[in-house]
Formats: sequence, structure tokens, C-alpha cells
Amino acid sequence: MDCIRCGLCNVCPVFRVEKLESVSPRGKIIVSKSIDSRIARDFFKCSVCGLCEVVCPVNLKLTEFWEKKREELFEKKLAPLPIHKKLREMTFRDFNPYRGKQEKRAEWLEFPVGKSKTLYFAGCTASYRLQNMAKASAMALKELGIEFTVLGPEEYCCGSPFLRTGQKDIGRFLFEKNIRAWQKAGVEEILTSCPGCYKTISQDYPRFARELGYSFEFEVKHVSMIFSKLAKGKLGFKATYHDPCHLGRHMGIYEEPRDAIRRCGIKLVEMERNREFALCCGAGGGLRSQFKEISIAICEERIREALSTGTDILITSCPFCEYNFTRTGKERIKVFDLSEIVCMTLFP
Amino acid sequence: MLVKDSFSRFGTVEDHPEVLKIYCYDFTLIPRIFSRFIKRPIIVVQPRSAEDVAEIMRICERHEIPIVPRGAGTSAYGGAIPLKSCVVMDFKRMCNFEIRDGELVAQSGAVWIEMERELNRNGEALRVYPTSANVSTVGGWIAQGGYGIGSLRYGSIAENLKWLEIVDFEGIRIVKGEEMRYYVGTFGCLGIITRACIKTRKNEPINCRAVHCSFEEAISMLEGGYHASFKNSKYLSLEGFGAKDVLLICSEKGDGDETGKMMWGRRLIPLRIASKGKRIFPEVVLPHENAVKFYEYAERISEGLEVVFAKDCVVFIAALGNGYRNMLKALKIVKIAEKLGGRVYARGMLFSSGYGKDISDYKKRIDPKNLLNPGKMGWNAFSMSIGLLGKLIWTA
Repeated sequence: MDCIRCGLCNVCPVFRVEKLESVSPRGKIIVSKSIDSRIARDFFKCSVCGLCEVVCPVNLKLTEFWEKKREELFEKKLAPLPIHKKLREMTFRDFNPYRGKQEKRAEWLEFPVGKSKTLYFAGCTASYRLQNMAKASAMALKELGIEFTVLGPEEYCCGSPFLRTGQKDIGRFLFEKNIRAWQKAGVEEILTSCPGCYKTISQDYPRFARELGYSFEFEVKHVSMIFSKLAKGKLGFKATYHDPCHLGRHMGIYEEPRDAIRRCGIKLVEMERNREFALCCGAGGGLRSQFKEISIAICEERIREALSTGTDILITSCPFCEYNFTRTGKERIKVFDLSEIVCMTLFP
Repeated sequence: MLVKDSFSRFGTVEDHPEVLKIYCYDFTLIPRIFSRFIKRPIIVVQPRSAEDVAEIMRICERHEIPIVPRGAGTSAYGGAIPLKSCVVMDFKRMCNFEIRDGELVAQSGAVWIEMERELNRNGEALRVYPTSANVSTVGGWIAQGGYGIGSLRYGSIAENLKWLEIVDFEGIRIVKGEEMRYYVGTFGCLGIITRACIKTRKNEPINCRAVHCSFEEAISMLEGGYHASFKNSKYLSLEGFGAKDVLLICSEKGDGDETGKMMWGRRLIPLRIASKGKRIFPEVVLPHENAVKFYEYAERISEGLEVVFAKDCVVFIAALGNGYRNMLKALKIVKIAEKLGGRVYARGMLFSSGYGKDISDYKKRIDPKNLLNPGKMGWNAFSMSIGLLGKLIWTA
């Protein structure tokens, strides 16, 4: 890693909370060749949000570096950390990290769906925890004339929480479960409302496919890409938008959600840090599960920033962000997923 | 363990041998042959108050342990690099600040951008701040004595301080006026800055224009400006922009344009040209009257040049390549600047020998055991080598 040690990466939201150089990107790079269990723990104090990569003047591929390092720690048995290990065990058993029953995976679905080459992949969080999001996405897609299917018990965790924490083996296992189900169902296009799933299926799955000898010819889209073209309405209220790291910095989707929000007739007010400079909500990369206090502190900072725009309505397009903002913000802020906003225009 | 026990009551401590390595670095580029002069700290302590700082200093004085203060570690002058086995006093937990009756009082570890955000919410703004404001700290920038955004109208940080809270071996005290010169730009060698009262301005919108012009023409356009920086075409092409020299002139009144707005928007994203390879950035300060003459010289030998105009001087940042040859070039730039009545931007570890007699005398009086950031005032292996090379270059 050819780091020039300028320290500009200390914008890292975790470092801002922890205030120890051992969790700063620069610090971690310096000690990256001599990792013991203490340092390994610090390597997981990171939401893999990618802000360090955006500000790095020498364009170091830091997101990739953190993930590779975590894989290395997993191989050296310095990871997974205790809670990540629990989630791993649960997912090997239940195919999701929420102890949800596989046969109830599509319990949220409120209308029948037939066969289709287009799949709506809800993901674990929307299937078991934030069913409002899965319901709204499906309803909105249906009303906008998109024909799709849902695989229900044949949908498995995409593996994102594990790939982001270095556990490639379970990622591969889940990839094989999913791709077989998609091939069997004749799927050609995959729509998802979860940026974690979107990144994993778009970026990690083609790599697994190459390694394991599968063909991967699916077109993968985040629902915001559909809503940005088809949504329309006159909602009229003021709201701010939070860029999920996996959708924005990792996948470069910044304008589509904004276009969709504007098409819904909402007056969009930007937070000071937006698009590639947006502050992470603190939930990703296994941070919320293992280091809850840090995650909440980061989320508090983002909520303060959102409220300072003069609105208490925050729109995002990620179940992890929505979950963290709702839990942390409680009554202070109203959090909506983009699909819920589109639904408001369709079912006033 | 004993050391850890002694310090842990004053805040968070760090003594993991590998993690301590992190505190041997800041942004300074250290040639490999010099790395043996850098010492690993014994421990890192993060105090929470001036009282903690005073207590830590008392222990260090009693046991004759050197102290190295550390802010964000973003300076390229090695001010935070330990040259002796020491206690590193890391100020990141002393990061509170308050805005009271138009006054900003900040602890040493407060980050500039966080204060600016809060001030803006109150209709106020910082007068001056560094381009590394997103990460750098109050104490760090004051101890370096910097110029930055807003220096055209408001001068250096030294001119924008009402008072400083200092801790030395005699205790905690407030210093004002002339006496602050002992602490601004002296890298904690004479006392540790724990709080600062910083002047603010009304948050008038800043309007910026980008003007294609020569350096000489740029000087005639500065009247009434809040901030002005000039980048030559070579510097801009390294940044991936146009191929004409540009002056960014910003004011609290007047009009702006799109390019100006874009350049202003990027003011806190420094060092982008480092993406084209490792570089050395010698920075020198020149009096206005010799700026053109120096510009002509620096333009010729550098790969790109950025100039920041301040109220009473001009700051030149030259972009050079990497390697020993370019290090010599950097020294040459410093020497020419000195010849033209200028000086190196900051002293730190690299140019530690150039302090005046009153400062050196004060050091002897206040810190007779040389425990405060040792090696950063007077000679060290780095400044000796640089001094010697400088002389050779000049003779040649």
C-alpha cells in the first residue's frame, strides 16, 4: 500500500468517534503487516463506507484493501469476531442472519406473482425485519407496470454481511444456493431494493461465477434505477436524501434516487455532505452488529446533519440505513425508503 | 505497566508496541537513511483537560521524560514525529469548543471543519482555516503557524487569535498579544497549547471568480479579496484541469462565476496532484515585493506551482517529483526564498535551527531540561543535514 500518510483519510467516521489512530485508515495501513488479535479487532472497526478512498489524494483502492485484509484475518483465524461468528452460524443454518424461517421468507408479499424472467430479490433485512420496504418496493413495481416474480423459500441471503467481513467461504456457499435457484426459475433480470445485495450480486457474484465455473448473465438493477424513470407525483413536502454507501460510493448511483424523489414532487434539500462525500449511517461492514455504540454515534452525527437542513423527513434507499436511522433517531426524524415514497404517489 | 498505570488516570492510553509505530509518522516524507533517528514513543496519552496536561507534564518533568504533542499529524514538517523516546500527548479527545458572544473558544484537538459547521449554524464563520480543515486540529495548525483560506483578508492564524491557554512546567495560564508569538509556529517546544480563543467573522456568502491571467496580473487583482490562490498551468494539468494559469479570487461581496464556484468547492480537497506519483511540496513565504521575482525562478524549476496570497505575504507551494534529486531542488527553492527575504513556511523537525535569539533564550528558561518536543528547536540530524546540504548547494 503506497500510502503517503497525509492523514486526509482521518475523515473516517469511525476514527471521528473512536479518536484513536489505530482505527484510522492511515494507522491501519501502517500496522497492516503485523496484525495480532488486538489490531485485528481494530480492523473491524470500520463500516467499509469507502469515504477514505474518495478523499485519498493518491487514489488508493482502500475499500478493496480493507476487504482483502479482513479475508486474510479470517484465514489466519483472527476473525470472525464473536457476533459476526454468531451471524455466520445462523446463516449456515437458516440461510439468513435473522433466525427467520425460510418458508416465511416471502410472507411480506401481499399479492400473487406469476412466473417471470424478472426477479425481485428482497434480501434478508426487508424480508424479515423491514417488511414495509419489501412490500412497498413490490407494490410500486407492480403499479408501475413491471412484471416480476419472487422466489420466496428459494431466495437465500446474498452473503453481503459476510463478504464485507472477510468470510468468503459462506459467501460462495450462498452464491451457489442463489444462482442455482435463479437458473432453475429462468431468471434473466434481478431487481433489488437493498444496496448490499445490489453490490454483492453485481460485483462479487460474477467473480464467484468465474471461480466456480457458472455462467453469470443476469442484468442487475437497484429499484431506484426504475423509479427514476417511472415515478411521478405531487407530494409537495420537503425532504433530504441520505446516500447509502453501497449504492453511492461503491456502485456510483447518486442521481437516480434524487431524480425519483424529484419526480415524486418532493422538494429535495441536500445535506452538507452528500453524494461521494456523504457521511455513512454507521450500519454497514458488520459495524452495527459488532460495535453498536460506534455505529449509533455515527448515526447520531448524520441525523444532526439531516435535521440541520430544516426538514425532519429523511429518505434513503437501503434497509440497513433505514434500520439504523429509525432505531437511533426514534421520534426525532421520519425515515422513509425510496419505495415507500413512490408508493405514496401511487396510493395517495 | 508502571508507565501505563501512571498515565491512565489522565485519559486513554495506548502502549501496544505495533500501534505506537503509527505515532512515529505524520505527513513528512522521511528518506530511509534517516529513519533510524526517529524514536518510538513509550506511551501515547490522550488527556481530556488542561489539568490533565499539567499533571502529565509534572510527571514527565519529575522523571525527565520528553513530551511530544500531537494534533491530527497532517503536517509535512515532522513537528509531531518523536526524535527521542517520549510520551506522545495526543489531543484528539480535547475536541470541545463553544461559541459565546461572538467568540469561539476551542480546545486544542477541535477539528476546524466541525467548528466551521457549528459557526455557520449560528450565522458566523471562521476567518481563516487550513486546506486540511476536514481533519486538522486547532492546536496543530496554531503550533505550525499557518496561512490558509481567508488569509488574504485576515492574515495568518497568529493574527486571528484573541488568547491562548498554555500549559508549561510552571502551570496553566492564558497568554495574549505579543506573548503569543512564543507559541504560534513553535511546535509545542515552549509550552503546550490547550485552548484558543479564535476570531470569527459574520457568515457572508463567499463569491468566487476564476480569472485566466499571468502571476503578475494576478497581484493587481487582489484588492478587497477574502481569499486568493493562483495555480499555474503545469499545476492545473497535474490536477487534470485546463492548461491556462488561473487566479481564484474570492470576496465577501461581489460576483462569482461557475469555475470559481467549482474551485472554491474543491478548496478542502488538497494534494490531488499527488495521484500522479509521490511528490515533495516545498512551501515558502515571500514578501509581496519579491513575489514576482521568486515566481519566475520557482516556475522554471518546479513541475507545478500553487500560490496563496496573504495579507502581508505570499505563500508558494511548489510541486516537485520524488527522490533525492528533487529533495535537493526543494532545498534550493528554500534557499532562493531566503535570499529574497522570505522563509520556509514552517520549521518543525526539518528546519528546526532557524529560530531567533529571543525564542531560543525563552526555551532555555522555560524548558531547561529540553523535554518539550526535543529536537524541534535547535539542531537535529534532519536539520543538520538539510543545513549542510543547503550550504553546499548555495556554494555550488
